[in-house]
Amino acid sequence: MIEPSTHMRDKYALVGAGHSRLGKVPGVSAQGLLEEAMLNSLEDAGLTTRDVDGLICRGPDEIYTFHQVMGERLGIDAAFSTTLTNGGASQVMGVALAAMAIDAGMASCVLVGYGRDNWSRVHANKENHMRSSGRPQQMYGMEFGPEFGYYGAIAAHGFGAQRHMHEYGTTREQFGAISVAFRDHAIKNPDAVMQKPLTIEDYLAGRMIVEPFSLFDCSLQTDAAGAVVVTSTERAKDLRQKPVLIKGFGTGNNISGWFNGNNMTHTGAIQSGKAAYKMAGVSPMDIDYAQIYDCFTYMVLVQLEDYGFCKKGEGGEFVASGALTLDGILPTNTSGGQLSEAHVEGMLQVVEGVRQLQGIYGPKRQVPNAEIGLVSGHGGNTVCESTLILGAM
Amino acid sequence: MSDNYKKAIPVPGPESVPFWEGAKNHQLMAQKCLRCHHHWFPPSSVCTSCGSRDIEWVALSGKGTVFSFVVFHRLYHKGWDGEIPYVVGVIELKEGARMLSNVIGVPVENVKCDMPVEVVFDDVTEKLTLPKFKPV
Repeated sequence: MIEPSTHMRDKYALVGAGHSRLGKVPGVSAQGLLEEAMLNSLEDAGLTTRDVDGLICRGPDEIYTFHQVMGERLGIDAAFSTTLTNGGASQVMGVALAAMAIDAGMASCVLVGYGRDNWSRVHANKENHMRSSGRPQQMYGMEFGPEFGYYGAIAAHGFGAQRHMHEYGTTREQFGAISVAFRDHAIKNPDAVMQKPLTIEDYLAGRMIVEPFSLFDCSLQTDAAGAVVVTSTERAKDLRQKPVLIKGFGTGNNISGWFNGNNMTHTGAIQSGKAAYKMAGVSPMDIDYAQIYDCFTYMVLVQLEDYGFCKKGEGGEFVASGALTLDGILPTNTSGGQLSEAHVEGMLQVVEGVRQLQGIYGPKRQVPNAEIGLVSGHGGNTVCESTLILGAM
Repeated sequence: MSDNYKKAIPVPGPESVPFWEGAKNHQLMAQKCLRCHHHWFPPSSVCTSCGSRDIEWVALSGKGTVFSFVVFHRLYHKGWDGEIPYVVGVIELKEGARMLSNVIGVPVENVKCDMPVEVVFDDVTEKLTLPKFKPV
């Protein structure tokens, strides 16, 4: 059994957060978007590129050593830098790795970010759409998938949703409660892509894509980037924003595979959450809000169970009870999430997690009395998880 | 019929040749551990349960259940034009290994988790046979 070390609790902090323009941003590369987000996050902290000695990032997976591309653009030589490749679990993990690098004395101020130009790549024109459609599920490349008509992350996650529905009686209406709650949050966020109200009737009338998922179960395709700045809590006290403490973090990776054992219904969040709670010295009861990786509705539901916000199998009832709204018992994805704000593989969840504790929002968007928040990252081939627990100074 | 086959043709990795050769001979092949008798899929060079390297390829019974499934309502590949909706399932074989395939021979709305199925071999071209599953 792994015992997470608690010596890092509250020693490192997030001191700035920023995002790029979100949505359809034609003519800007993933690098350009990330540059925009990184500069915004540094400005938020009252720092410049000259203060940075660590760079952890991720971009489109086919760009080799993305951090070097970014370093060149920003004019940064870094004591510590790398590109992470753990899918949607990379971004939260990037923050944890930044704290570990500073703790080890390898860097003192680390910029963490992720940018993607997904709308431009996939939807900007017909040629791009043709090129991206029909791309095989990447894990096995050219066998055990495409020959059976198995394409896309939606189907992989759909297997989990279907199995959960079978074992626990979870319904599509319950998945819909997640989409509706996040859309309400997006409408309160002027930067969010989706601004049209969504009702449960709209959800149920949505076009089926890969059953059990319809259009409104799926996250957005957007051009967007997010970034945060990590440094020591000691140094953070002199900076512009109220520091947001890194209380704990964890990782859990069911890399024996999504098809193995009960991994479809018991995710890496079980292990990742346990580690993060232990490091932070808190329990699910202490969490005031959550930013949960929402590539598809089902992943929110199952992660909420696995993080202990409700019992296994009761996620459907939990989300349908109104728990996730801003005045609910666990306000979740308060900027609209990937389902309704923009999809940057969890990076905007980190940004929103920070902003809720910076206390920069008015009453319309602020979680009342927020002191402790949980941010999750999920991805790879649906099996990797990372968790951050943030605290107010 | 080979010329008319428009769906993706699998490109076997070096470790999975016995699976595809077996399918051509209408045998469903997977690896088995000689030490703990665990069966697994996709192929590797070590038992995924006990870590033994003492393993062999064996023919499975071809019987199992639908562990989970999805129904494709959107066309991702032109080879499936006219066949939507179709079912992709994770099949749990009686021996324990799970593999991806199509569930056929049943209306899509009747497919259920844990439904018993058995393998049928679809000779889609002269060189390619796909193991698919139909209800028992």
